[in-house]
Amino acid sequence: MTSEQGPAVERSAAPATAPVPVLAVDHVARWFGNVVAVNDISFELGPGLTGLLGPNGAGKSTLLHLLAGLLQPSAGAVRIAGEPAWRNPAVYRRLGLVPEREAIHDYLTGREFVLLNARLQALPDAEAAIDRAIATVDLAAVADRPIGTYSKGMRQRIKLAGALVHEPGILLLDEPFNGMDPRQRLHMMDLLRSMAEAGRTILFSSHILEEVERLADSVLVIYAGRLAASGDFRSIRRLMTDRPHTFTVRSSDDRRLGAALLADPSVFGAELTAGLLSVRTSDFGAFTLAVPRIARSEAISLFELRPTDDSLESVFSYLVRR
Amino acid sequence: MISSMPIVGVTLRGLLGRRRTLLMLLLVALPVLIGLLVRLTGRGVDVDRILDAMLVRTVLPLVALVLGTAALGSELEDGTAVYLMIKPVRRWRIVGAKMVVAAGLTVALVVPSALLTGVLAGGAGSTAFPTTIGFAVAVALGGSAYACVFVGLSAYTSRALVLGLGYTMIWEGVLAGLLEGTRFLSIRQATLGIARGLAGPERAAFTTAGEQGSLDLGLSLVIVSVAAVLAFVLGTIRLARFEIRGAD
Repeated sequence: MTSEQGPAVERSAAPATAPVPVLAVDHVARWFGNVVAVNDISFELGPGLTGLLGPNGAGKSTLLHLLAGLLQPSAGAVRIAGEPAWRNPAVYRRLGLVPEREAIHDYLTGREFVLLNARLQALPDAEAAIDRAIATVDLAAVADRPIGTYSKGMRQRIKLAGALVHEPGILLLDEPFNGMDPRQRLHMMDLLRSMAEAGRTILFSSHILEEVERLADSVLVIYAGRLAASGDFRSIRRLMTDRPHTFTVRSSDDRRLGAALLADPSVFGAELTAGLLSVRTSDFGAFTLAVPRIARSEAISLFELRPTDDSLESVFSYLVRR
Repeated sequence: MISSMPIVGVTLRGLLGRRRTLLMLLLVALPVLIGLLVRLTGRGVDVDRILDAMLVRTVLPLVALVLGTAALGSELEDGTAVYLMIKPVRRWRIVGAKMVVAAGLTVALVVPSALLTGVLAGGAGSTAFPTTIGFAVAVALGGSAYACVFVGLSAYTSRALVLGLGYTMIWEGVLAGLLEGTRFLSIRQATLGIARGLAGPERAAFTTAGEQGSLDLGLSLVIVSVAAVLAFVLGTIRLARFEIRGAD
């Protein structure tokens, strides 16, 4: 994966031999009235599994819908294997989308829904393709039940079967793990991994860091419509961890502990306001090791050590500011 | 080549929900009930007046409106249209399939209603039966035009039902009686023009009460054809540019 913005971490998920990127997003922006949902995003994706990470409302779904040709970019261009995505139904022969919205034809059975998708793709051997897709998502036992009777996780899986039935080279999934129980989640993760290993280009969105961490080698981090970071997940995780952190500390003697912590190289600021000791550090790992050691050496009892800015929002905000 | 049949099939399944079907059957049964009452009471009422008032003015536009706006509009509204839109299917095929289903169902409901009502109220006499046949053909053509227009309208706005109701009640119901020129933009007037033209003026004594003049058969056929074709073209243009937003 390559990107032109954000603190991009140098790593290419696309094979070096690929002449045309499978998915190319070139300075794409999309606004709705005065609201900028996606702001000047550029990246390219090749085969592999990529996570699109960001908090709710960050613009992930809008970006996926732009990629799927369901939204027209206000600026820039989205290309799928060199072809424009917008107003080009032919790209759907090589692309599958699993939308986040739960709406699905409830009056159809699971099998009928997948059949509908197969027939709209004009597959020569639709029956075999349907059986394969349903078996892939492990829904054969309930395929003849109306979708209206399905659980949320089952609906997600039948949507995936519908998107997979024509075996597309590109798969876009919007929050695919929503509503799945842990077993289904693991099954879906294995499935996506194996499809990526088979050479597909898969982009899935999530607002849960751990989901992306477990599944994707490369990641696009989006926050407030902007691409905050892109590239190898481990490097971005390190960026997230090594950013400046602020902790509040409660102890038997906050003033003395604050003075002692200031002498440690991992700490670059401490203040005692309204009886609350607040400590800033630039080295998360070293600091968390130093605090108990210093407290013990000063014979101070440590009651609480709490990070104040560990929400995903603050992590993403930091990545954008860098 | 991808056929439109899967879209026809899924639209048909979607439209034939239990409640909607029941409502439509009740609607088209109303004129038949009136025809039966006329037969039972033995009163001489012109067939054309019953078919005009009960079918062309009320039941026909309502049936076409409900089916036409639901065929495409409800899928765009609830988000299930995305599964049709992310397929290598040309947009005109989607719009065409929706129109075929909405028009087909409208015809399937209103034509038997027209025939039954006409036969019950007027019998199979030399005047009444040609009038009944004329109306049956007219409601088939007019109903198809209505359905196409409402499918096209639903591609443009989520308020197609309200706007369609406004068109049939205010434009066709009120303005057509006040402003003569509006009849050229009235599917109802074109439907009546077809009925009159097919029944023959010497047999069809009806005039559109309170409405000035009447459209001849040729012009009426042109109006319903243009309405259907224009709805198809505009609906396709709109659907080709239709955007589906994400959840954020």
